[in-house]
Amino acid sequence: MGLMYSKQMLGAAAALAFFTAAVPAKAQTRAETLRYVTGAAVNTLDPNIPGSTREAFAVSLSTYDRLVSFGRKQLNGKWVFDLDTIRGELAESFDVSPDGLKITFKLRKDATFQDGSPVTAEDVKWSLDRAVTAKILGKAQLLTGSLTDASQFKVIDPTTFEVTLPQPDKLALPNLATVYPIIINSKVAKAHATEEDPWAQAWLKENTAGSGAFIIEQFKPGEQVILKRNDAWNRGPDGKQAFFKRLIVQSVPEPATRANLVEKGDADIVIDLQASDAQALEAKGKLQVISTPQYNALTFISMNNQMAPFDKPDVRRAVAYALPYDDMFKAALFGRGAPLFGATWADSKPPSGAFPIPQPVKLDLEKAKAYLKAAGYPDGFSTTFSFNVGQAATAEPMAALLKESLAKIGIKVDIQKLPDAQMSTQITEKKLPFFTEGVVAWLPSTDYFYRNFYTGNQRWNYSSIDNAELTAVAQKARFEADKAKYEADGKVLNAMNFDLMPQIPLWQPSQDAVMASNLTGYTYQFHRQVDYRDLSRK
Amino acid sequence: MTTLGATAIRAARRFASSLPALFGVLIFTFLLMRVLPGDPAVFFASGPNSGKEEIETIRKQMGLDKPVPQQLFLYLYDVGRGNLGRSLMTGQNVTKDLRERLPASLELTFSALLIALVLAIPLGVLAALKPGSLIDHGVRLFCALGVCVPTFVSGLLLIYIFYYLFGVSPDPTGRVDIFTTLPPAHTGFLLIDFALAGDFDGWWAAFKQLILPACTMALFVIAPLARITRASMLASLGSDFVRTARSVGLSWWRIIVTYALRNAILPVITIAGIVFSTMLGANVLVEKVFSWPGVASYALDALLSSDYAPVQGFVLLMASVFVIVNLVVDVLYGIADPRISIG
Repeated sequence: MGLMYSKQMLGAAAALAFFTAAVPAKAQTRAETLRYVTGAAVNTLDPNIPGSTREAFAVSLSTYDRLVSFGRKQLNGKWVFDLDTIRGELAESFDVSPDGLKITFKLRKDATFQDGSPVTAEDVKWSLDRAVTAKILGKAQLLTGSLTDASQFKVIDPTTFEVTLPQPDKLALPNLATVYPIIINSKVAKAHATEEDPWAQAWLKENTAGSGAFIIEQFKPGEQVILKRNDAWNRGPDGKQAFFKRLIVQSVPEPATRANLVEKGDADIVIDLQASDAQALEAKGKLQVISTPQYNALTFISMNNQMAPFDKPDVRRAVAYALPYDDMFKAALFGRGAPLFGATWADSKPPSGAFPIPQPVKLDLEKAKAYLKAAGYPDGFSTTFSFNVGQAATAEPMAALLKESLAKIGIKVDIQKLPDAQMSTQITEKKLPFFTEGVVAWLPSTDYFYRNFYTGNQRWNYSSIDNAELTAVAQKARFEADKAKYEADGKVLNAMNFDLMPQIPLWQPSQDAVMASNLTGYTYQFHRQVDYRDLSRK
Repeated sequence: MTTLGATAIRAARRFASSLPALFGVLIFTFLLMRVLPGDPAVFFASGPNSGKEEIETIRKQMGLDKPVPQQLFLYLYDVGRGNLGRSLMTGQNVTKDLRERLPASLELTFSALLIALVLAIPLGVLAALKPGSLIDHGVRLFCALGVCVPTFVSGLLLIYIFYYLFGVSPDPTGRVDIFTTLPPAHTGFLLIDFALAGDFDGWWAAFKQLILPACTMALFVIAPLARITRASMLASLGSDFVRTARSVGLSWWRIIVTYALRNAILPVITIAGIVFSTMLGANVLVEKVFSWPGVASYALDALLSSDYAPVQGFVLLMASVFVIVNLVVDVLYGIADPRISIG
C-alpha cells in the first residue's frame, strides 16, 4: 500500500515536472515557428518544373541558394526589393569585366550543402548548365539575360566561376538572382539522374539537394510543407542564420478562414486575403498590415488591336475616356493600390521614361463620344468583356461599372466569366476582343515591359499590337548602356503607347501582407511571395 | 446460409452488370475533358517567360500531342494497369493522390452520415407519432433550416462561433492539428489509426477537427432522411399489422421499433445510400471551408485548371463508389426485408 502510494506520488510529481517543463518549451516552439497560410499550394520542390506555383517559388528561395540576390530599399516607407543593388549569396564577391563580357564569381569558402559537402564551382556549373539546357522554366527566363548556352559557364578553380556573355547585358546578373537558377548539389542530383532524365528533374521535384536556409521536413503537395532551420546557413544580409527554427507553409483555401486564423494568432502571416478582409483587420488595429503597391505588376484593360472594332485607335481612345476609373478603383480594390490614371502630363509629353507611369486619362464621356464618332461608330457597337474566375473578386465589380459606363456612349457590353484555363487558352489564341488581365515582370525595366507585353505574336502581348516602330525602339533600348539615352527611349515608348492606346493600364494592386504585430523584416519581393528568410519576431 | 449465398450471388451479378456502365463513364469523361475549351498546357505554362516551347513541352509530357483515339487507347491501357496518370497540379500520381485523399473524404462523410442518421431517424419517428403536433412542426422547421442554409454558410457560421468567438474548437485547417504527430497509416482513417496506435490525445485532436465539418454536412442531409423516415413511418403506423399488434396489447416499444420501424426502414436505406454517394462527391464546399484534404476539393481544383488526369480519376472513383454503395444498399435490403432475397 505504502509502495503504491509513493508510486502515485512519484507519478504525480513526474507529471507536474513534465507540465512545468513542457509548457514553456511548447510556448517557445510556437514563438520560434513561423506559420504562413495561403490559398494556393506548393506543388514541387524544384521551381523549374513546368507548372510550378508561386508558392513553390517561395519555398525554393528558402531551400536553395543562388549565386547572388537582390538587396532591399525603402519605397514610401515600405521595404521592397531593389533591382539595382545585387549582393553575393553563394558568391563571396563578383566582378564584371570593363567590356561587360565576363562576370567572375568568387564562391564562399565556408558554404556547404545541407548534407555537409562543400559548394564548389563544379556544382554551380552543373546547376546553371541544367537551367539553360534542360526543358525547364529557367531556360526562358535566363534567355532574357543573354544566358543561353552551357559553353558560357566555366570553372576556373574550385571556388572561382566565370560567365561569358555574347554582348554586354545589364540583365545578366539580375537574372542569376531570380527564382530559377538554383545551385544544386550536383553529386547528389547526378546520383538520381537516369538516361531519360539526365538532369534529375523527377527526383528534384520531390526532394531537395540545396544549401538554403531551411531544410524540408515534410512535403505534402497541395496541403503543407514543414521546414526546419539549417543552422549552418549564413548567407543572409547580416551573415546570420534564419530567425525561425521552424517554418510551416500551409494551404487554407477559404479566404475567410485565413483571415480568422491570422486574427486569432494561429497563423503569423498571410498575403492573399480579400481586400475587404485586409481593410477590416487593419481597422481593428490588432495586427500589422503592410500594404505595398506591387511596383513590378499592373492590371490592364486590353483590347484586341487586330479585331474590329478595336483595330481602330479612335475606338480604343473612346473606351479609355469612357471608363469610370475612380469608381472602379474603389469597388475593385477598395482603393488599395497605386492608380495609373488621372495624371496630367505637361505639354502632353510623358514626364518620365519609366514604366508604368500614370496616364493622362479620366472619365470624359463627351470626349469619348467624339472619338467614337471619328472612328465611324457614332451609335456604338456590341462586344464581350471577359475575365477569369480566379480574379472574380476584383474583376466582377469592375466589369459591372465598365458595362454601365460604356452603355452611356452606346457600347453594349456582355460580361463573360471564364475558368482560368479557358481564359489563358483564348488569350493565347487571340480570340478575346476585350478583357482584363494583369502582368508582372520580375526584372521591371521599361524595355522589358514593352518587349514582353507590347511586341510579337505571343500570349503576353494581350492587345496583339504589332507596331514596327515601337518594336524597334524597345529592342534598341534593350542593350542601351547610356542611362540618359535609355530614359529618352523610355519617353518615346511611353508617348507612343499613350497615343496608340493598345490597352489601358488601370492600376498596380497592393499586396496586403497581414501579420502578427511582433513580426519584423517583411519585404515585398520581385516574385510577390514572402521570403521567409526576411522575417523575424521581436 | 442459403439466404447469404443468394445475397452473394445477387451482389456479384449486380456488380458484373455495372462494369459496362463504369467503362462508359471512363470513356465519356475522357472525351468530355478533351471537348472542354481549356488547354491545360497553356494554363500550366504560365511562368512570366513561358512561351510556345514550354507549352509544347507540357503538351508532350501529358501526351496531348498525339491524336485523340491514340490518347484514349493509351489511357485505357494505363487504367487497366492501375495507373490513372499524373496530376500537373500536385505533381503526383493521381492514384497516390486519391489514395491519400479518399480516406479523408470517407471519414468525414461516414461521420456526417452517422450523425445525420442518429438525429434524423428519431426525429422522423417522433414527428410521425404525433403528426400535426408541435413536435412535428418543430422537426419540419429544423429540417427546412438545415436544407436552406448552404453548407459553406453553416460551415463558416460554426467556425465563427466555436473557433473565433468561444475558441473551443481547434483552427479549421485540415484533419489534425499541425503540431500533432500522425499515427502509422493502416487504414487512412485517422480516428481508427490513432485508436490502433493507442494515442488517445491524437484521437481526441483528430476528433475535434472532424466534428465541425461533420456537423456542417450532417445539417444539410438531415432533412431528406428525417422527412422520408416520417412519411414511411406514417404509412407503416397506419397499416393493418400495427393495428393488430396494438389490439393484442404488445408493448409500445415493440410495436414502434420492431414492427413499424423495421417495415419503414427500406426507403430510408435507399435514401441514405444516395445521400452518402452524393455527399462524398458534393461536399466540396465543406472541404474548402475547413481546408479538408479530400477528393472533392482536389477534383474541383483540377477541373478549374483543366488538369485532365485527376478529373478523370475522380469521376471513375466516384462511379465505383456509387456501384459499391448500391451493392451495400442491396445487401442491407436483404437484411431488413428477407422477402427481397428470395425474389
